[in-house]
Formats: sequence, C-alpha cells, structure tokens
Amino acid sequence: MTAVVLRRGAELLLALLAVSVLVFLLTSLAPGDPAEEILRRGGVQPTAAGVAALRAELGLDQPLFTRYLRWLGGVAGGDLGRSYADRSPVAAEVFSRVPATLRLAGASALVAVGLAVLASVRLALRPRAPLSRAIALVTAALTGVPPYIVGILLISVVAVGLRALPTGGDTGPGAVVLPALTLGLAGAATLLRLLRADLADALRQPFVRLAAAKGLRARRTVLVHAVRVAAPNAVTAAGVVLAELLAGAVVVETLFAWPGLGQLAVTAIRQRDVPVVQAYVLVTGAAIVLLLACVELCLAACDPRVRRR
Amino acid sequence: MRGRATILLLALLGAVLAGCGAPEQAGAGQLTLAAPRDLVAGPQDPYYTHQTLGVWEPLVTVDDRLRPVPALAVSWERAERGRRWTFTLRDGVRFSDGSPLTAEAVVANVRRFLRIAPRQSAFFSLDAGMEAAYGKLRDVRAEAGRVTFELAEPVADLPARIAGFFSMVQSPKAFAASGDFTGQPVGTGPYRLVEWVKGQRAVLAANPHHHGGAPAYDRIVVRVIPDANARVAALRAGEIDGLIDKGALLPGQVGAVAADPGFRVVRSPSVLTHYLTFNASRGPFADARLREAAELAIDRRAVARTLLGGTATAGGAFLSPVFGDLAAPGSGAPHDPGRARELVAAAGAPAEPVSILVSSAETGQFPYTGIAEVLRAALEQAGLPARVTVAEATKAVMEAGDYDVFLSAYSVPNGDPDYLFRRFLRSDAAWNTERRLGYRSAAFDDLVDEAAVETDPGGRRELYHRVQRMLAADRPMIPLAYQDNAIVTTSRVGGVRQSVAYVVDLGALVPRR
Repeated sequence: MTAVVLRRGAELLLALLAVSVLVFLLTSLAPGDPAEEILRRGGVQPTAAGVAALRAELGLDQPLFTRYLRWLGGVAGGDLGRSYADRSPVAAEVFSRVPATLRLAGASALVAVGLAVLASVRLALRPRAPLSRAIALVTAALTGVPPYIVGILLISVVAVGLRALPTGGDTGPGAVVLPALTLGLAGAATLLRLLRADLADALRQPFVRLAAAKGLRARRTVLVHAVRVAAPNAVTAAGVVLAELLAGAVVVETLFAWPGLGQLAVTAIRQRDVPVVQAYVLVTGAAIVLLLACVELCLAACDPRVRRR
Repeated sequence: MRGRATILLLALLGAVLAGCGAPEQAGAGQLTLAAPRDLVAGPQDPYYTHQTLGVWEPLVTVDDRLRPVPALAVSWERAERGRRWTFTLRDGVRFSDGSPLTAEAVVANVRRFLRIAPRQSAFFSLDAGMEAAYGKLRDVRAEAGRVTFELAEPVADLPARIAGFFSMVQSPKAFAASGDFTGQPVGTGPYRLVEWVKGQRAVLAANPHHHGGAPAYDRIVVRVIPDANARVAALRAGEIDGLIDKGALLPGQVGAVAADPGFRVVRSPSVLTHYLTFNASRGPFADARLREAAELAIDRRAVARTLLGGTATAGGAFLSPVFGDLAAPGSGAPHDPGRARELVAAAGAPAEPVSILVSSAETGQFPYTGIAEVLRAALEQAGLPARVTVAEATKAVMEAGDYDVFLSAYSVPNGDPDYLFRRFLRSDAAWNTERRLGYRSAAFDDLVDEAAVETDPGGRRELYHRVQRMLAADRPMIPLAYQDNAIVTTSRVGGVRQSVAYVVDLGALVPRR
C-alpha cells in the first residue's frame, strides 16, 4: 500500500506540473492585451504611454518563458502574484474564497449523493412503478436543462414567489439551500444514471438469484448485497460528479452571488485579471487531480485487484 | 415504514425552510441597495470607493447634462484667458475624522494623483482622463484658503475636465507615501465606509460631520449581485430596496420592472454612446459613397426603440445630447434606404461581404448580436452583402485591418469634447492609426486644435459644431444610439437622481410614505 501511495504521489506531482504549464500557456496566450483592458475599465480609451508603463509594471514585456519561471517560482513559495485589477495579493484572495466554495460543494454533494442513492435503490427495487418512471423522467429532464435555468426557476418560485429563502448572497444559514439544490440536482442526475446502471448490473449477478431462492427479501438483497458490489464504481462516479460540481460552481455562484472561487473566476475573466484566472485554474485543477487520486486510493484500499495494476 | 420516512423527510424540509426564515426586513433607517459590480475597490485603488457611495466628494461634479456643478468648491474663477483657475472652497466642511477641509488638503490630493499616474483603477484609471484633466498643469497651490491651478496653455473648461473622480478630495492622512491608502477612506461625504466584504457588500454609516447635515438613512448596505436576473429577483423578493450603478437594469428588463407599481424606474442620459467605426483603409468603405449608403440604410430610430428597448435615443450629432449646446443640431443623416440603394448601385457592390465586427465582451451588456444582425439585413437590403463576426479580441482583428465596420460603445471621462476627437479621430490618434480607420484630414486636425484652445464659449461652440459637421460629411465613425442608464428603487424610496456618470447622490435619498 505504501508503494502505491508513493507511486501515485510522484504521478500526482507530474500531473500538477503539467497543469501549471497548461494554465500559464493558455492564460498568457489568450488574445487581447490585459494592460490595455485594465486601463479601459472606466470605458475610456487609454493612452499608448499608459499602456506601455502598465505592461512594464506587470512584467508583460518579458519573454513568456521568463514569466513562466518567475510565476512557477512564486507558486512553489505560495505566492500566486498580485491581481492586475486591484493590486492585492492573489493567494489571500483565492484562499479567502475557498471556504464558501467548499460549503457549497459539500451541500451540493449531499444533495447529489443523497438523491441519487435514494432514487437508484428505488429504481432497482421497483423499476416499473409509476414513481420510478416519474423519477426517470425528471432525471432525463434535469440532464438536459442547464443549471442556470434550474437556478432561475428555483429563485422565482422559492425566493420571489414564496419568499421562503434569500435569492442569493451568503446572507444567512438558509442562503446555501437554493444554490446547493441547483448544483446538486445536476450532479444527482449524472450520478443516478451511473449508479442505476451499476446496480442493475449487480442485480443480474447469480448471487441475487441465490438470495431470492433462499427467501431473502428484495429490499435486503439490494441494500446489503447488490449495493456492496456496485460500491466501487459508485465511488468513482461520485469522484467524477464532485469534479463536475466544482466546474458547475462557476455558473451557480455567479447566479446566486455566492462569494466563492467560481464567482471570483468569472469576475476575473471579465476584467482580464490574468493572475487570478491562473490561480483559479491552478487551484481547481489541483483539487480535481487530488480528488481523483483520493478516489483511486479508496478503491485500492477496498479492492485488492486495483492495487496490483 | 415508507410513510414514516416520507413524513420525516417532509418535516425535515419544513424545518430547514422555517429555520432559514424570511429574508430580514430592512429596519427603520437602513436601506439596502444592490449594484452589478463592487463599488469599493480597496486600499490599492486611487479612489478606494466609487463616487456614488458618497464617502468622498469631488471639488466639482457633473449634473444630468454633463455640466460642471459645485461640490466641495462653491465657485471658480478663470483668469488669463484660462491659464489660471481659482476654486473657492465651501465653508465649514469637515472630513469624517473631524478634521477640517483645507486648500492644502485639496492640493495634496492633486499632487498624489500626479505622482502615482499612470495607475490602474476599477473606476477611472489615472491615464487618459488624467491627461485631459491635468495634462497642461504647471502648478497647483493653496492661496488664502483657495486652490489655484496654473496651466501651461489656456484651457477653456478646466472644471468640466476635473469634475468627478479626478478632483476627489480625501484627508491627506488617509494616504501612505506609496499613494495607497493606509486604512479606511476619509472623505467629506454624507456616508462613511464602515464594513467592506470584497465582492459581496459595502456597509455605509451616516457621517456625523457632513456639511449638508445628516442624511436620511443611518445605514446603507450596497450588495454586489453580478447576475442581471438575480438582481431583479432580489428586488422582487423584497430583499433589496433598489438597484444602482451602470447597467443596473439591462435594456430588456426596464419595461417589465417599470410596469410594476411597486417600483420606480429612473432613466437618465449617460456618457455612453454606441458608435459604428468604419475601416476606410481598405475595400468597400474606403469609398465615401458606400459609407454614406451604410448610414442611410440603417434605421437608427428602430434600433434604439426596439433592440435597445427604448433605453436609448437614435444617434445624430457626433457628440451626444449630454454635451448640451456643444452637440451640433441637425447633423446625422436620416433613414433613406432608397437613396442608399442608389449610392450602392452607383459605386458598385463589393464582391466580398462586408464584415460587421462585434466584441463578445459587449454582447452580455447590450443586445449587440441582435443589433449586428439588423445592421446586416439593412446593408444587404441596400445591396451591400454583409456578415457578422463576433470576436473576443477585437483589437487584434482591427489592427490586422480585418473588418469593415465595428460596433462598440464608448464613454467620455468628462465634459470635454476634445477627448473624443483627439483620442479617436485626429490623424495621429492611436484609435485612428492602429485600428486602421484610415481617416486623414488636415482640415479636421486643425479645427480640433483650434477648438481646444478657444476660451470664448460662443466661439468654442461654433468651432465644435463645424467639427461635427465635418465628421457628418466624412463619416469615419457614426453615432448609432445614445444610451440611457436605468436604475430602480421601490416606491418607498424618494430623492433618486442620477448623473450622466452613473453617480446617484445617496445622501439625497429619503424614505417616502
């Protein structure tokens, strides 16, 4: 097991380095001149001298490779640079946003996993019941409707119509409910499709028929035996869905004015605030790489076959 | 078993919903507003806060017609044909820390701007606008409680040029040597900034030392809600009492919100104008007849009324109506598709379709994809085949000369018309040369230079009218529509006024019964 962890650790570092190169190249090669964009923020055409001075101040006049090395050196020391927009340190800004995003991601994961597990068991037990058909229909619809639309609907019904919850902002304990539902429903739909297939697979195994033959109740067969067989796949699926939640948070956080990383990223992209965009992509990229590594370690811990690969 | 589980689940959901409760109602004396962006930029910004928050006040501000009006300066005098300007300060003004406003403090603010420029800002960078304001400044000094600006050349309208951000006054004690702020902003406005959560909200409290007396609301919370639909939802849900700032209500939202008797929409002209810029350095629009045909083919009234939802007025003179009598009356061609077809027939239609360029950054704020499609149809009806290109980096596309007409919106930093002509269209203007406008007119350059130093108001007006008539004939750029800005409050809030620069005087807001 130690060898597995070490090998995976080395791979992880390589993956992170690759992420850093990609992040830097993509954001630096994006068209447009950040210096000019920043100076034009009040809608006023900048002067050539002003643009040149700002380019020099931001180090944009240096060759790309020099800029990458300088940036990577900073990142290694925990310094993500300074925001082009307001000159504040990026690392502090990014990490101050992490708790809000984690709170939203955690609540959405609860919604996604809870709903998906409940629904998949229900579907496995009684695939032809009207409720099961309704669940399947709603899942298909949710897969097709973008979270932005779901969010707008929830806001207009629950927040504006019933005035039961705030429309957005991190204003109180209830504020996380609507964004978490919006994000969680999308995750639940994806997760449910994966779980349902796995559970159906497990239910076709010979031991299920054996269980039925010896008189075990269907509920017990599914909840105790089939779920255990489907679990490793479910863990992988949950990892993928969690990564999806992080990506979807960009839209949902903006819609609900949720003060997390996603909202920060959208504002930064609008303002051409390259260091913040780089930090966002790097942090979420690293989080997803780590998440998937954790999933793999979990699988290795519970399934000896994975360890040998 | 299943029934019990369902009941339990419903009870839990009910408890969660009840626990969250209704959104807190604004108590007496507190007002909650929202804006699309953070109106606080922080200690590294030249201004710390936007002028709208009323934390600081400028020497001079602008009214709803871009005219300079007194703020901290009660009056000003011009001497030596505009080489010396002297501003008299309001009496008995104190900063929010209790210290008095002095002429020396004003001078320290101007010197700080000059020292740290060029410096980026979330609002107005200390760059082009600064150059217009202080480019000709030789010296600024305090004299017997008054502030005197000595200029190297005559400037006809210094108050208009420094109005707003560039004449901000804060206590010099608020600034560090680097030009950054040492702590909170310390201004003379009706409110103080007492709490700021970046990207989320600013909390303002009444400034007890304000010269105009205490404002009606004790506290104002300004929330940041970036999504346009979410902003209106928060308003309808009763969480906020109003929306302020540039783009508070998008053109498509104004009608529905204004129809609700619970809300009062205030629409006023803004400094923003939508222009069409022609690439006359190549192909079809190098021919003046085709530029004229394009202008005649476009129904600007319909664009303003329908696509911009009535939140704009059709373009005419190059300077928008906010410039008052400096805008040339009667310039700009009418909608005449028949004449446009004749001109195209005479000049010969180009083989390649003309390219209408739009920036993807602007399509979220204004319905530019729709407008570009309407322009395309109008040009095609006149016999000019056209296509629409939406690009992320319009600068690169334009510098490569790979466009024929560019649709974009521009703001002016102050009431000085020289900015638009000098920065965009003079033969040596970066916009003109780098973006391949191909507009070269010695007569225009001379006229712009002449107008810039003319200090007699009548003569100046006449010169700027001639400049605009020349542009109306040459057509390097044509104004498509003058954009209004719409803000809204519930009907319980009164005293809402907005300047052309999106500044709402929060100190003037009052509760209404």
